[in-house]
Amino acid sequence: MREFALYLGCTTPVRLPQYEASVKAVLEKFGIELTTMKDANCCGAQYVESLSRPAFAALSGRILALAEREGLDILAICGACSGSLKTVKHELDSDRYLRSEVNDLLKDEDLEYTGNVHVKHLLQIFQEDIGYNAIEEAIVRPYKGIRLAAHYGCHVTRPYEIVQVDDPENPTIIDRIIEIAGATAVDYVGKTRCCGGPMLAVDEPVANKIGMEKIENLQNVGVQGLVTACVFCEIQLTQVQFGEGLDPKNRVPVLSLPQFLGPAIGIDMNALGTYLNKIPPDNIFASLAEAK
Amino acid sequence: MVETKGELKQPSLHHPSSDFSEEIANEPGGEDITKCIQCGMCTASCLVAKYTDRYRPRRLIQKILLGKREEVLNSELPWLCMTCRLCEERCQEGVSLPEIFGAVRKIAAREGKIPNVFKSTASLVLKDGWMLKDTYTDFIEDDRDDLGLDTDLNWDDDFVKKIKKKYFKEDKTR
Ligand code: SF4
Ligand code: SF4
Repeated sequence: MREFALYLGCTTPVRLPQYEASVKAVLEKFGIELTTMKDANCCGAQYVESLSRPAFAALSGRILALAEREGLDILAICGACSGSLKTVKHELDSDRYLRSEVNDLLKDEDLEYTGNVHVKHLLQIFQEDIGYNAIEEAIVRPYKGIRLAAHYGCHVTRPYEIVQVDDPENPTIIDRIIEIAGATAVDYVGKTRCCGGPMLAVDEPVANKIGMEKIENLQNVGVQGLVTACVFCEIQLTQVQFGEGLDPKNRVPVLSLPQFLGPAIGIDMNALGTYLNKIPPDNIFASLAEAK
Repeated sequence: MVETKGELKQPSLHHPSSDFSEEIANEPGGEDITKCIQCGMCTASCLVAKYTDRYRPRRLIQKILLGKREEVLNSELPWLCMTCRLCEERCQEGVSLPEIFGAVRKIAAREGKIPNVFKSTASLVLKDGWMLKDTYTDFIEDDRDDLGLDTDLNWDDDFVKKIKKKYFKEDKTR
């Protein structure tokens, strides 16, 4: 059995607790043990990251060092967090001056980054630690006759040289799991394009147009839902569908990958917090087979 | 600038260089700026450019190459990049625009030229240790409780104070 230090990031616990709950429920079912990190801090993505390289390295570096002290690798479930932690790990591993500067700051807390910790994004746990065979064997209530699309998230898959998750131009992990669970995975224009999330605080109208372009591309291929693996993408692609003048009937429900997979492997809906999803995913769950 | 001998292209025509582009090249992330051949693939693949005329990543690179230091550092444009890295996937010359704009942002930040949203969010993180302390309401606590999740989020706010003191002394994030 593998154990990971779960780094939640700032956004998931507050804005999408159902994602956190479903990650825990689903991974536990597959025998992956998670210890939620305590006394952590923000990874520094986007904001501190933009202002100072060493400050960003220190923020993410401390998270790496905290996990290293516990002897655990890190699971990050947010694209921005996993991207930050992997990028900073890469920098600390290749720049010893930066590393000693960060370690100087960590000394007081008896923390040290030595490089002996790895960071995985949720998608890697499914592919590398659980594996498609085990997922297939665990399916007790397959989906049937439902068309779903995948959105991977820019910071989850790019840059490949650093994050090493999936083919950035043609990612497949979510699509394969959609198919394994019995649904039909549907391709669409602009699959690897951004959700617009990072733009939200900077220029909201532009962010909304970018997000809506993706939703329209999904509507054009007639899918009944979207499956994601990043908290920012999920929130952004949900909220853009509440814009003025949009017909609520046309909304495409957005589910995180564990929320999608959970019911198919026999996990109770309530434990997955699907009742908190702003666009009810009932149509998707209606296509599940009766429990065996 | 190192040029390969025997290149068909006249390097000087395609590789304008300036003090500012050298400054960027010396900043981590900015190293590849002079490889840009101004083909425009980045602008063509950029969603921000698609939805706002003011943002043209190729043109911004051109301005750096031409040495328009003050104009670039005073502009909000380098802060509009979402770091989605689609352009980076597409660029045939191996130029990473998000990395270059990251280098620009850091130089601008050192000179106190930081857009408000970056300033205020960074200063929130450097005060609370995380981003959403004020957003975390009783209602959300109840949701967490219902889901069986810990309602104490256990963020550390000591380390960030040290970071603020060391790297943001003049308090450019205020
Ligand atoms: S795609 Fe690359 S080479 Fe072409 S203009 Fe953009 S940065 Fe320059
Ligand atoms: S990384 Fe920045 S410049 Fe490149 S496509 Fe994305 S938003 Fe545009």
